Amino acid sequence: MKKKIYLFCSAGMSTSLLSNRMQKVGDENNLPVEVKAFPYDSLDEIFEKDRPDCILIGPQMRFVVDKVKQKYGSQGVPVAAIDPIDYGRINAEKVLRFAVSLIKQAAKKEE
Amino acid sequence: MKFMNKLEDKLMPLASALGSNKYLVSVRDGFLVTMPLLIIGSFFMLINYFPIQPWIDLLSETTIAGISISALLSTATTATFSLFAIFAVMGIAYHFSRHMEITPIHGAAVALVSWFMLMPMYTLYLPEGAAEAVRVSSIPFDWVGTKGIFIGIVCAFSSIHLYKFIVNKGWVIKMPEGVPPTVGRSFASLIPAAFVMVVFVLINLLFRFTPWENAFDFVFRFLQLPLQNVSNSMGAMVLIYLFAHILWFFGIHGTNITDTVFRPILIALSGENLEALQSGLKMPNIINQQFQDLFATYGGGGSTLSLLIAALLFCKSKRLKDLSKLSIFPGIFGINEPVIFGLPIVLNVTLLLPFIFVPMINIIITYIVMAIGLVPICNGVIMPWTTPPIISGFLSSGWRGAVFQFIMVTLGVFLYLPFVRSLDKQYLKEESETINKGNEEDLGALSFDDI
Repeated sequence: MKKKIYLFCSAGMSTSLLSNRMQKVGDENNLPVEVKAFPYDSLDEIFEKDRPDCILIGPQMRFVVDKVKQKYGSQGVPVAAIDPIDYGRINAEKVLRFAVSLIKQAAKKEE
Repeated sequence: MKFMNKLEDKLMPLASALGSNKYLVSVRDGFLVTMPLLIIGSFFMLINYFPIQPWIDLLSETTIAGISISALLSTATTATFSLFAIFAVMGIAYHFSRHMEITPIHGAAVALVSWFMLMPMYTLYLPEGAAEAVRVSSIPFDWVGTKGIFIGIVCAFSSIHLYKFIVNKGWVIKMPEGVPPTVGRSFASLIPAAFVMVVFVLINLLFRFTPWENAFDFVFRFLQLPLQNVSNSMGAMVLIYLFAHILWFFGIHGTNITDTVFRPILIALSGENLEALQSGLKMPNIINQQFQDLFATYGGGGSTLSLLIAALLFCKSKRLKDLSKLSIFPGIFGINEPVIFGLPIVLNVTLLLPFIFVPMINIIITYIVMAIGLVPICNGVIMPWTTPPIISGFLSSGWRGAVFQFIMVTLGVFLYLPFVRSLDKQYLKEESETINKGNEEDLGALSFDDI
Protein backbone atom coordinates (compact mmCIF):
# COMPACT_ATOMS: atom_id res chain seq x y z
CA MET A 1 0.00 0.00 0.00
CA LYS A 2 1.28 3.42 -0.94
CA LYS A 3 1.32 6.00 1.83
CA LYS A 4 -0.78 8.98 0.88
CA ILE A 5 0.81 12.32 1.65
CA TYR A 6 -1.66 15.08 0.83
CA LEU A 7 -0.77 18.77 0.67
CA PHE A 8 -3.30 21.56 1.04
CA CYS A 9 -3.11 25.27 0.34
CA SER A 10 -5.53 27.98 -0.71
CA ALA A 11 -6.06 26.85 -4.31
CA GLY A 12 -3.79 23.80 -4.39
CA MET A 13 -1.59 25.52 -6.95
CA SER A 14 1.60 26.46 -5.17
CA THR A 15 1.56 23.20 -3.19
CA SER A 16 1.37 21.31 -6.47
CA LEU A 17 4.80 22.73 -7.34
CA LEU A 18 6.07 20.99 -4.23
CA SER A 19 3.99 17.81 -4.43
CA ASN A 20 5.18 16.97 -7.97
CA ARG A 21 8.79 17.19 -6.88
CA MET A 22 8.16 15.23 -3.70
CA GLN A 23 6.58 12.47 -5.78
CA LYS A 24 9.66 12.48 -8.00
CA VAL A 25 12.04 12.24 -5.06
CA GLY A 26 9.90 9.45 -3.63
CA ASP A 27 9.92 7.52 -6.90
CA GLU A 28 13.67 7.93 -7.27
CA ASN A 29 14.14 6.42 -3.82
CA ASN A 30 11.61 3.65 -4.43
CA LEU A 31 9.54 5.04 -1.59
CA PRO A 32 5.93 3.80 -1.74
CA VAL A 33 4.24 7.20 -1.52
CA GLU A 34 1.51 9.07 -3.33
CA VAL A 35 1.98 12.82 -2.97
CA LYS A 36 -0.83 15.09 -4.15
CA ALA A 37 -1.92 18.72 -3.75
CA PHE A 38 -5.45 20.01 -3.24
CA PRO A 39 -7.28 23.24 -2.43
CA TYR A 40 -8.03 23.55 1.27
CA ASP A 41 -11.79 23.83 0.81
CA SER A 42 -11.87 20.23 -0.49
CA LEU A 43 -10.11 18.78 2.55
CA ASP A 44 -13.20 17.23 4.17
CA GLU A 45 -14.35 15.58 0.94
CA ILE A 46 -10.90 14.27 0.08
CA PHE A 47 -10.40 12.96 3.58
CA GLU A 48 -13.62 10.97 3.51
CA LYS A 49 -12.78 9.52 0.11
CA ASP A 50 -9.07 8.77 0.40
CA ARG A 51 -8.15 8.90 4.09
CA PRO A 52 -4.61 10.21 3.61
CA ASP A 53 -1.78 9.02 5.87
CA CYS A 54 -0.42 12.50 6.34
CA ILE A 55 -1.89 15.99 5.91
CA LEU A 56 0.50 18.86 5.25
CA ILE A 57 -0.72 22.46 5.13
CA GLY A 58 1.02 25.24 3.21
CA PRO A 59 2.49 27.84 5.58
CA GLN A 60 0.27 30.59 4.15
CA MET A 61 -2.74 28.64 5.44
CA ARG A 62 -1.19 27.73 8.78
CA PHE A 63 -4.04 29.48 10.58
CA VAL A 64 -6.20 26.42 9.84
CA VAL A 65 -3.74 23.86 11.23
CA ASP A 66 -5.21 23.81 14.74
CA LYS A 67 -8.69 23.23 13.41
CA VAL A 68 -7.57 20.42 11.11
CA LYS A 69 -5.55 18.84 13.91
CA GLN A 70 -8.59 18.84 16.15
CA LYS A 71 -10.69 17.16 13.50
CA TYR A 72 -8.32 14.60 12.02
CA GLY A 73 -5.32 14.48 14.33
CA SER A 74 -7.58 12.76 16.85
CA GLN A 75 -8.12 10.01 14.27
CA GLY A 76 -4.41 9.28 14.26
CA VAL A 77 -3.62 11.16 11.03
CA PRO A 78 -0.60 13.42 11.44
CA VAL A 79 -1.31 17.07 10.54
CA ALA A 80 1.38 19.74 10.24
CA ALA A 81 2.25 23.01 8.56
CA ILE A 82 5.11 22.89 6.08
CA ASP A 83 8.24 24.79 7.07
CA PRO A 84 8.04 28.17 5.29
CA ILE A 85 11.64 28.20 4.07
CA ASP A 86 11.45 24.63 2.71
CA TYR A 87 8.16 25.52 1.11
CA GLY A 88 9.53 28.63 -0.57
CA ARG A 89 12.64 26.91 -1.88
CA ILE A 90 10.61 23.87 -2.93
CA ASN A 91 12.95 21.67 -0.92
CA ALA A 92 11.04 18.52 -1.82
CA GLU A 93 13.41 16.05 -0.23
CA LYS A 94 13.34 17.74 3.15
CA VAL A 95 9.56 18.04 3.20
CA LEU A 96 9.26 14.40 2.15
CA ARG A 97 11.60 13.35 4.95
CA PHE A 98 9.50 15.43 7.30
CA ALA A 99 6.31 13.71 6.13
CA VAL A 100 7.88 10.26 6.44
CA SER A 101 9.02 11.05 9.98
CA LEU A 102 5.48 12.21 10.85
CA ILE A 103 3.97 9.00 9.49
CA LYS A 104 6.47 6.93 11.45
CA GLN A 105 5.76 8.85 14.65
CA ALA A 106 2.05 8.30 14.17
CA ALA A 107 2.61 4.59 13.50
CA LYS A 108 4.63 4.27 16.69
CA LYS A 109 1.92 5.95 18.69
CA GLU A 110 -0.65 3.49 17.43
CA GLU A 111 1.46 0.56 18.53
CA MET B 1 11.20 42.15 16.47
CA LYS B 2 9.20 42.26 19.66
CA PHE B 3 6.63 44.47 18.02
CA MET B 4 6.48 42.06 15.07
CA ASN B 5 5.78 39.12 17.34
CA LYS B 6 3.04 41.04 19.08
CA LEU B 7 1.46 41.99 15.78
CA GLU B 8 1.60 38.41 14.56
CA ASP B 9 -0.01 37.22 17.79
CA LYS B 10 -2.86 39.61 17.08
CA LEU B 11 -3.18 38.80 13.38
CA MET B 12 -3.19 35.01 13.56
CA PRO B 13 -6.40 34.70 15.60
CA LEU B 14 -8.02 37.31 13.35
CA ALA B 15 -7.05 35.37 10.21
CA SER B 16 -8.16 32.18 11.86
CA ALA B 17 -11.51 33.68 12.84
CA LEU B 18 -12.17 35.12 9.37
CA GLY B 19 -10.85 32.03 7.62
CA SER B 20 -12.94 29.60 9.61
CA ASN B 21 -16.14 31.55 10.23
CA LYS B 22 -18.82 29.28 8.78
CA TYR B 23 -20.82 32.11 7.22
CA LEU B 24 -17.88 33.78 5.50
CA VAL B 25 -16.35 30.50 4.40
CA SER B 26 -19.68 29.31 2.97
CA VAL B 27 -20.01 32.50 0.95
CA ARG B 28 -16.47 32.20 -0.37
CA ASP B 29 -16.78 28.50 -1.22
CA GLY B 30 -20.23 29.04 -2.71
CA PHE B 31 -18.83 31.67 -5.02
CA LEU B 32 -16.08 29.28 -6.02
CA VAL B 33 -18.83 27.02 -7.41
CA THR B 34 -19.84 29.81 -9.77
CA MET B 35 -16.35 30.80 -10.92
CA PRO B 36 -15.85 28.15 -13.64
CA LEU B 37 -19.31 28.96 -15.00
CA LEU B 38 -18.56 32.69 -15.09
CA ILE B 39 -15.24 32.05 -16.81
CA ILE B 40 -16.84 29.88 -19.49
CA GLY B 41 -19.71 32.35 -19.92
CA SER B 42 -17.12 35.11 -20.24
CA PHE B 43 -15.30 33.17 -22.90
CA PHE B 44 -18.41 33.05 -25.08
CA MET B 45 -18.93 36.72 -24.39
CA LEU B 46 -15.37 37.41 -25.43
CA ILE B 47 -15.89 35.72 -28.80
CA ASN B 48 -19.00 37.82 -29.30
CA TYR B 49 -17.41 41.13 -28.36
CA PHE B 50 -13.84 40.56 -29.47
CA PRO B 51 -12.61 44.13 -29.93
CA ILE B 52 -12.50 44.10 -33.76
CA GLN B 53 -15.56 45.70 -35.37
CA PRO B 54 -15.73 43.62 -38.62
CA TRP B 55 -15.67 40.46 -36.48
CA ILE B 56 -18.56 41.71 -34.32
CA ASP B 57 -20.53 42.64 -37.45
CA LEU B 58 -19.83 39.27 -39.04
CA LEU B 59 -21.19 37.39 -36.03
CA SER B 60 -24.31 39.48 -35.68
CA GLU B 61 -25.13 39.45 -39.41
CA THR B 62 -24.55 35.78 -40.16
CA THR B 63 -27.61 33.70 -39.36
CA ILE B 64 -28.03 29.96 -39.10
CA ALA B 65 -31.55 28.51 -38.98
CA GLY B 66 -32.95 31.97 -38.32
CA ILE B 67 -30.69 32.86 -35.41
CA SER B 68 -27.58 35.02 -35.64
CA ILE B 69 -24.31 33.51 -34.48
CA SER B 70 -23.91 36.17 -31.83
CA ALA B 71 -27.40 35.46 -30.43
CA LEU B 72 -26.62 31.76 -30.45
CA LEU B 73 -23.33 32.22 -28.58
CA SER B 74 -24.83 34.65 -26.10
CA THR B 75 -27.14 31.93 -24.76
CA ALA B 76 -24.10 30.58 -22.91
CA THR B 77 -23.52 33.99 -21.36
CA THR B 78 -27.19 34.35 -20.43
CA ALA B 79 -27.29 30.93 -18.77
CA THR B 80 -24.26 31.74 -16.62
CA PHE B 81 -24.07 35.50 -16.02
CA SER B 82 -27.70 36.51 -16.20
CA LEU B 83 -28.68 33.59 -13.94
CA PHE B 84 -25.61 34.02 -11.78
CA ALA B 85 -27.34 34.44 -8.41
CA ILE B 86 -29.13 31.09 -8.76
CA PHE B 87 -25.81 29.25 -8.82
CA ALA B 88 -24.41 31.44 -6.07
CA VAL B 89 -27.36 30.80 -3.74
CA MET B 90 -27.19 27.09 -4.49
CA GLY B 91 -23.43 26.96 -3.86
CA ILE B 92 -23.54 29.01 -0.67
CA ALA B 93 -26.46 27.01 0.72
CA TYR B 94 -24.74 23.75 -0.19
CA HIS B 95 -21.57 24.66 1.67
CA PHE B 96 -23.44 26.20 4.59
CA SER B 97 -25.49 22.98 4.93
CA ARG B 98 -22.29 21.03 5.28
CA HIS B 99 -21.19 23.28 8.13
CA MET B 100 -24.64 22.94 9.74
CA GLU B 101 -24.58 19.18 9.27
CA ILE B 102 -27.74 18.82 7.22
CA THR B 103 -27.97 17.05 3.85
CA PRO B 104 -26.34 19.62 1.52
CA ILE B 105 -28.55 19.04 -1.51
CA HIS B 106 -31.72 19.44 0.60
CA GLY B 107 -30.30 22.59 2.16
CA ALA B 108 -29.51 24.01 -1.28
CA ALA B 109 -33.03 23.25 -2.52
CA VAL B 110 -34.71 24.79 0.52
CA ALA B 111 -32.59 27.93 0.23
CA LEU B 112 -33.46 28.34 -3.45
CA VAL B 113 -37.15 27.86 -2.72
CA SER B 114 -37.20 30.47 0.03
CA TRP B 115 -35.27 32.91 -2.16
CA PHE B 116 -37.71 32.38 -5.04
CA MET B 117 -40.61 32.83 -2.63
CA LEU B 118 -39.50 36.34 -1.75
CA MET B 119 -38.68 37.26 -5.35
CA PRO B 120 -41.15 39.57 -7.12
CA MET B 121 -42.09 37.26 -9.99
CA TYR B 122 -42.80 39.72 -12.74
CA THR B 123 -41.01 41.72 -15.39
CA LEU B 124 -42.21 45.18 -16.39
CA TYR B 125 -43.09 45.35 -20.07
CA LEU B 126 -44.21 48.35 -22.07
CA PRO B 127 -46.39 47.19 -24.99
CA GLU B 128 -46.14 49.28 -28.11
CA GLY B 129 -48.43 52.27 -27.99
CA ALA B 130 -49.39 51.67 -24.36
CA ALA B 131 -48.97 54.46 -21.84
CA GLU B 132 -48.23 52.27 -18.86
CA ALA B 133 -45.98 49.29 -18.41
CA VAL B 134 -47.66 46.01 -17.55
CA ARG B 135 -46.44 43.34 -15.21
CA VAL B 136 -45.71 40.11 -17.05
CA SER B 137 -45.48 37.03 -14.83
CA SER B 138 -41.95 35.65 -15.07
CA ILE B 139 -38.75 34.98 -13.24
CA PRO B 140 -37.11 38.38 -13.69
CA PHE B 141 -33.57 38.43 -15.13
CA ASP B 142 -33.04 41.52 -13.06
CA TRP B 143 -33.18 39.63 -9.77
CA VAL B 144 -31.53 36.32 -10.70
CA GLY B 145 -28.44 38.17 -11.91
CA THR B 146 -25.98 39.96 -9.69
CA LYS B 147 -28.68 42.18 -8.15
CA GLY B 148 -30.16 39.25 -6.26
CA ILE B 149 -26.97 38.05 -4.59
CA PHE B 150 -27.18 39.63 -1.17
CA ILE B 151 -30.81 38.77 -0.56
CA GLY B 152 -29.76 35.29 -1.73
CA ILE B 153 -27.06 35.10 0.92
CA VAL B 154 -29.55 36.26 3.56
CA CYS B 155 -32.11 33.66 2.41
CA ALA B 156 -29.56 30.84 2.35
CA PHE B 157 -28.40 31.46 5.91
CA SER B 158 -31.83 32.11 7.43
CA SER B 159 -33.64 29.22 5.70
CA ILE B 160 -30.98 26.70 6.62
CA HIS B 161 -30.92 27.91 10.21
CA LEU B 162 -34.69 27.45 10.38
CA TYR B 163 -34.41 24.04 8.76
CA LYS B 164 -31.75 22.95 11.20
CA PHE B 165 -33.83 24.29 14.11
CA ILE B 166 -36.73 21.99 13.20
CA VAL B 167 -34.45 19.02 12.59
CA ASN B 168 -32.95 19.59 16.05
CA LYS B 169 -36.44 19.64 17.57
CA GLY B 170 -36.83 16.16 16.20
CA TRP B 171 -40.00 17.03 14.27
CA VAL B 172 -39.37 14.69 11.36
CA ILE B 173 -41.51 11.92 9.94
CA LYS B 174 -39.97 8.65 10.97
CA MET B 175 -40.49 5.73 8.62
CA PRO B 176 -41.16 2.24 9.95
CA GLU B 177 -38.37 -0.24 9.49
CA GLY B 178 -38.30 -1.94 6.10
CA VAL B 179 -38.87 1.29 4.18
CA PRO B 180 -35.84 1.86 1.92
CA PRO B 181 -33.56 4.51 3.46
CA THR B 182 -33.78 6.83 0.45
CA VAL B 183 -37.56 6.96 0.74
CA GLY B 184 -37.18 7.68 4.43
CA ARG B 185 -34.78 10.53 3.74
CA SER B 186 -37.05 12.18 1.22
CA PHE B 187 -39.74 12.32 3.89
CA ALA B 188 -37.26 13.41 6.53
CA SER B 189 -36.89 16.79 4.87
CA LEU B 190 -40.63 17.30 4.50
CA ILE B 191 -41.56 18.89 7.83
CA PRO B 192 -38.50 21.16 8.15
CA ALA B 193 -38.93 22.33 4.54
CA ALA B 194 -42.64 22.98 5.09
CA PHE B 195 -41.86 25.00 8.19
CA VAL B 196 -39.30 27.11 6.32
CA MET B 197 -41.80 27.81 3.56
CA VAL B 198 -44.54 28.87 5.98
CA VAL B 199 -42.13 31.30 7.61
CA PHE B 200 -41.14 32.74 4.24
CA VAL B 201 -44.79 33.19 3.24
CA LEU B 202 -45.14 35.30 6.38
CA ILE B 203 -41.97 37.27 5.64
CA ASN B 204 -43.24 37.97 2.15
CA LEU B 205 -46.55 39.17 3.59
CA LEU B 206 -44.75 41.40 6.07
CA PHE B 207 -42.83 43.18 3.32
CA ARG B 208 -46.10 43.94 1.53
CA PHE B 209 -46.86 46.36 4.35
CA THR B 210 -43.60 48.25 3.83
CA PRO B 211 -42.96 50.94 1.20
CA TRP B 212 -40.60 48.55 -0.63
CA GLU B 213 -43.30 45.92 -1.20
CA ASN B 214 -40.79 43.08 -1.30
CA ALA B 215 -37.65 41.86 0.43
CA PHE B 216 -35.55 42.00 -2.74
CA ASP B 217 -35.88 45.75 -3.19
CA PHE B 218 -35.31 46.29 0.50
CA VAL B 219 -32.08 44.26 0.76
CA PHE B 220 -30.76 45.62 -2.51
CA ARG B 221 -31.31 49.20 -1.47
CA PHE B 222 -30.18 48.97 2.14
CA LEU B 223 -27.45 46.33 2.01
CA GLN B 224 -26.10 45.60 -1.44
CA LEU B 225 -26.11 49.10 -2.92
CA PRO B 226 -24.39 50.78 0.05
CA LEU B 227 -21.78 48.02 0.19
CA GLN B 228 -21.17 48.35 -3.53
CA ASN B 229 -20.89 52.11 -3.33
CA VAL B 230 -18.43 52.00 -0.45
CA SER B 231 -16.35 49.32 -2.16
CA ASN B 232 -16.37 50.96 -5.57
CA SER B 233 -13.76 53.50 -4.52
CA MET B 234 -10.01 53.72 -4.66
CA GLY B 235 -9.79 54.14 -0.90
CA ALA B 236 -11.62 50.89 -0.18
CA MET B 237 -9.45 48.90 -2.55
CA VAL B 238 -6.25 50.42 -1.12
CA LEU B 239 -7.35 49.67 2.46
CA ILE B 240 -8.30 46.09 1.67
CA TYR B 241 -5.01 45.45 -0.09
CA LEU B 242 -3.07 47.12 2.70
CA PHE B 243 -4.65 44.67 5.12
CA ALA B 244 -4.09 41.70 2.79
CA HIS B 245 -0.41 42.59 2.37
CA ILE B 246 0.22 43.01 6.07
CA LEU B 247 -1.14 39.47 6.41
CA TRP B 248 1.10 38.27 3.56
CA PHE B 249 4.09 39.88 5.26
CA PHE B 250 3.51 37.46 8.13
CA GLY B 251 3.13 34.62 5.66
CA ILE B 252 -0.65 34.41 5.90
CA HIS B 253 -2.60 34.12 2.66
CA GLY B 254 -3.93 37.68 2.56
CA THR B 255 -6.45 37.64 -0.27
CA ASN B 256 -7.80 34.29 0.88
CA ILE B 257 -8.89 36.18 4.01
CA THR B 258 -10.11 39.39 2.40
CA ASP B 259 -12.00 37.48 -0.30
CA THR B 260 -14.31 36.01 2.32
CA VAL B 261 -15.79 39.47 2.77
CA PHE B 262 -14.98 41.29 -0.43
CA ARG B 263 -15.58 38.81 -3.25
CA PRO B 264 -19.40 38.89 -3.39
CA ILE B 265 -19.28 42.67 -3.73
CA LEU B 266 -16.58 42.63 -6.40
CA ILE B 267 -18.45 40.01 -8.42
CA ALA B 268 -21.62 42.08 -8.25
CA LEU B 269 -19.69 45.10 -9.51
CA SER B 270 -18.21 43.04 -12.37
CA GLY B 271 -21.65 41.75 -13.24
CA GLU B 272 -22.98 45.28 -13.64
CA ASN B 273 -20.14 46.07 -16.04
CA LEU B 274 -20.87 43.00 -18.12
CA GLU B 275 -24.56 43.87 -18.32
CA ALA B 276 -23.60 47.35 -19.50
CA LEU B 277 -21.28 45.88 -22.13
CA GLN B 278 -24.02 43.61 -23.40
CA SER B 279 -26.53 46.39 -23.75
CA GLY B 280 -23.96 48.80 -25.20
CA LEU B 281 -23.94 51.20 -22.26
CA LYS B 282 -21.04 52.87 -20.47
CA MET B 283 -19.50 50.59 -17.86
CA PRO B 284 -20.19 51.98 -14.38
CA ASN B 285 -17.69 50.39 -11.97
CA ILE B 286 -13.93 50.97 -12.02
CA ILE B 287 -13.38 48.70 -9.02
CA ASN B 288 -14.48 45.12 -9.62
CA GLN B 289 -13.23 41.56 -9.53
CA GLN B 290 -10.91 41.98 -12.52
CA PHE B 291 -9.52 45.25 -11.24
CA GLN B 292 -8.35 43.32 -8.18
CA ASP B 293 -7.27 40.14 -9.98
CA LEU B 294 -5.62 41.66 -13.04
CA PHE B 295 -4.46 45.18 -12.22
CA ALA B 296 -3.74 45.47 -8.49
CA THR B 297 -0.81 43.07 -8.39
CA TYR B 298 1.26 41.33 -11.04
CA GLY B 299 2.63 37.89 -10.25
CA GLY B 300 0.76 37.51 -6.96
CA GLY B 301 0.64 39.42 -3.66
CA GLY B 302 3.18 42.27 -3.51
CA SER B 303 3.30 42.45 -7.31
CA THR B 304 6.36 40.19 -7.04
CA LEU B 305 6.69 39.65 -10.78
CA SER B 306 8.41 43.04 -10.83
CA LEU B 307 10.66 41.97 -7.98
CA LEU B 308 11.63 38.79 -9.83
CA ILE B 309 12.45 40.64 -13.03
CA ALA B 310 14.60 43.08 -11.05
CA ALA B 311 16.39 40.16 -9.39
CA LEU B 312 16.89 38.27 -12.66
CA LEU B 313 18.34 41.29 -14.45
CA PHE B 314 20.42 42.94 -11.77
CA CYS B 315 21.31 40.57 -8.93
CA LYS B 316 24.49 38.58 -8.35
CA SER B 317 23.99 36.58 -5.15
CA LYS B 318 23.41 32.87 -5.68
CA ARG B 319 20.41 32.91 -3.43
CA LEU B 320 18.53 35.61 -5.36
CA LYS B 321 19.55 34.24 -8.75
CA ASP B 322 18.49 30.68 -7.98
CA LEU B 323 15.26 31.76 -6.42
CA SER B 324 14.26 34.12 -9.21
CA LYS B 325 14.92 31.45 -11.81
CA LEU B 326 12.85 28.98 -9.84
CA SER B 327 10.00 31.43 -9.31
CA ILE B 328 9.69 33.34 -12.56
CA PHE B 329 7.53 30.76 -14.33
CA PRO B 330 4.96 30.27 -11.58
CA GLY B 331 5.20 34.05 -11.08
CA ILE B 332 4.01 34.79 -14.60
CA PHE B 333 0.85 32.87 -13.69
CA GLY B 334 0.39 34.72 -10.42
CA ILE B 335 1.71 32.03 -8.08
CA ASN B 336 4.33 33.47 -5.78
CA GLU B 337 4.61 31.35 -2.65
CA PRO B 338 8.20 30.46 -3.59
CA VAL B 339 9.04 34.18 -3.42
CA ILE B 340 7.02 34.84 -0.28
CA PHE B 341 8.57 32.00 1.70
CA GLY B 342 11.78 31.31 -0.18
CA LEU B 343 13.30 34.73 -0.67
CA PRO B 344 11.77 35.27 1.86
CA ILE B 345 9.42 38.21 2.00
CA VAL B 346 7.91 36.99 5.25
CA LEU B 347 9.27 39.19 8.05
CA ASN B 348 11.93 40.57 5.73
CA VAL B 349 12.06 44.23 6.73
CA THR B 350 14.28 45.16 3.77
CA LEU B 351 11.42 44.39 1.38
CA LEU B 352 8.51 45.52 3.54
CA LEU B 353 8.18 48.97 1.96
CA PRO B 354 8.01 48.01 -1.72
CA PHE B 355 6.02 44.85 -0.94
CA ILE B 356 3.24 46.94 0.55
CA PHE B 357 3.52 50.09 -1.55
CA VAL B 358 3.96 48.75 -5.08
CA PRO B 359 0.43 47.24 -5.00
CA MET B 360 -0.92 50.50 -3.53
CA ILE B 361 0.72 52.45 -6.35
CA ASN B 362 -0.66 50.00 -8.92
CA ILE B 363 -4.17 50.47 -7.53
CA ILE B 364 -3.95 54.26 -7.40
CA ILE B 365 -2.49 54.73 -10.89
CA THR B 366 -4.83 52.18 -12.46
CA TYR B 367 -7.82 53.84 -10.84
CA ILE B 368 -6.77 57.25 -12.12
CA VAL B 369 -6.08 56.19 -15.72
CA MET B 370 -9.41 54.35 -15.82
CA ALA B 371 -11.27 57.26 -14.27
CA ILE B 372 -9.94 59.73 -16.86
CA GLY B 373 -10.55 57.22 -19.65
CA LEU B 374 -6.97 56.62 -20.72
CA VAL B 375 -7.47 52.88 -20.23
CA PRO B 376 -10.95 51.35 -20.58
CA ILE B 377 -12.68 50.07 -17.44
CA CYS B 378 -12.61 46.25 -17.10
CA ASN B 379 -15.40 44.82 -19.20
CA GLY B 380 -16.70 42.28 -16.69
CA VAL B 381 -15.25 39.32 -18.55
CA ILE B 382 -14.16 37.05 -15.71
CA MET B 383 -10.98 35.09 -16.29
CA PRO B 384 -8.87 32.96 -13.98
CA TRP B 385 -6.56 35.02 -11.76
CA THR B 386 -3.75 32.87 -13.16
CA THR B 387 -4.05 34.56 -16.58
CA PRO B 388 -0.66 36.22 -17.25
CA PRO B 389 -0.47 40.03 -17.41
CA ILE B 390 -0.58 41.69 -20.85
CA ILE B 391 -2.88 38.87 -22.05
CA SER B 392 -5.28 39.52 -19.17
CA GLY B 393 -5.13 43.28 -19.73
CA PHE B 394 -5.88 42.84 -23.42
CA LEU B 395 -8.88 40.61 -22.74
CA SER B 396 -10.40 42.91 -20.14
CA SER B 397 -9.48 46.37 -21.43
CA GLY B 398 -8.25 45.97 -25.01
CA TRP B 399 -4.78 46.85 -26.30
CA ARG B 400 -4.49 49.85 -24.03
CA GLY B 401 -4.97 47.51 -21.07
CA ALA B 402 -2.11 45.34 -22.31
CA VAL B 403 0.26 48.27 -22.83
CA PHE B 404 -0.70 49.71 -19.46
CA GLN B 405 0.06 46.42 -17.67
CA PHE B 406 3.46 46.29 -19.35
CA ILE B 407 4.20 49.82 -18.16
CA MET B 408 3.08 49.03 -14.61
CA VAL B 409 5.18 45.86 -14.37
CA THR B 410 8.18 47.86 -15.58
CA LEU B 411 7.50 50.67 -13.12
CA GLY B 412 7.36 48.03 -10.39
CA VAL B 413 10.78 46.74 -11.43
CA PHE B 414 12.27 50.19 -10.82
CA LEU B 415 10.44 50.63 -7.52
CA TYR B 416 11.70 47.27 -6.27
CA LEU B 417 15.23 47.69 -7.63
CA PRO B 418 16.93 49.69 -4.85
CA PHE B 419 15.50 47.37 -2.19
CA VAL B 420 16.36 44.18 -4.07
CA ARG B 421 19.89 45.50 -4.62
CA SER B 422 20.40 46.12 -0.94
CA LEU B 423 19.14 42.60 -0.22
CA ASP B 424 21.50 41.29 -2.89
CA LYS B 425 24.46 42.94 -1.17
CA GLN B 426 23.38 41.44 2.14
CA TYR B 427 23.17 37.95 0.63
CA LEU B 428 26.47 38.31 -1.24
CA LYS B 429 28.16 39.20 2.02
CA GLU B 430 26.61 36.24 3.81
CA GLU B 431 27.56 33.92 0.97
CA SER B 432 31.20 34.99 1.01
CA GLU B 433 31.39 34.60 4.78
CA THR B 434 29.79 31.22 5.26
CA ILE B 435 30.84 28.07 3.56
CA ASN B 436 27.98 25.62 3.51
CA LYS B 437 27.84 24.32 7.05
CA GLY B 438 25.56 21.42 6.26
CA ASN B 439 23.31 21.87 9.23
CA GLU B 440 20.53 19.64 7.88
CA GLU B 441 18.65 18.25 10.81
CA ASP B 442 18.35 14.50 10.84
CA LEU B 443 14.79 13.42 10.10
CA GLY B 444 15.69 9.76 9.62
CA ALA B 445 15.95 7.50 6.62
CA LEU B 446 13.78 7.95 3.54
CA SER B 447 12.02 4.61 3.87
CA PHE B 448 9.17 2.95 5.73
CA ASP B 449 11.14 -0.22 6.45
CA ASP B 450 11.11 0.25 10.19
CA ILE B 451 7.31 0.38 10.59
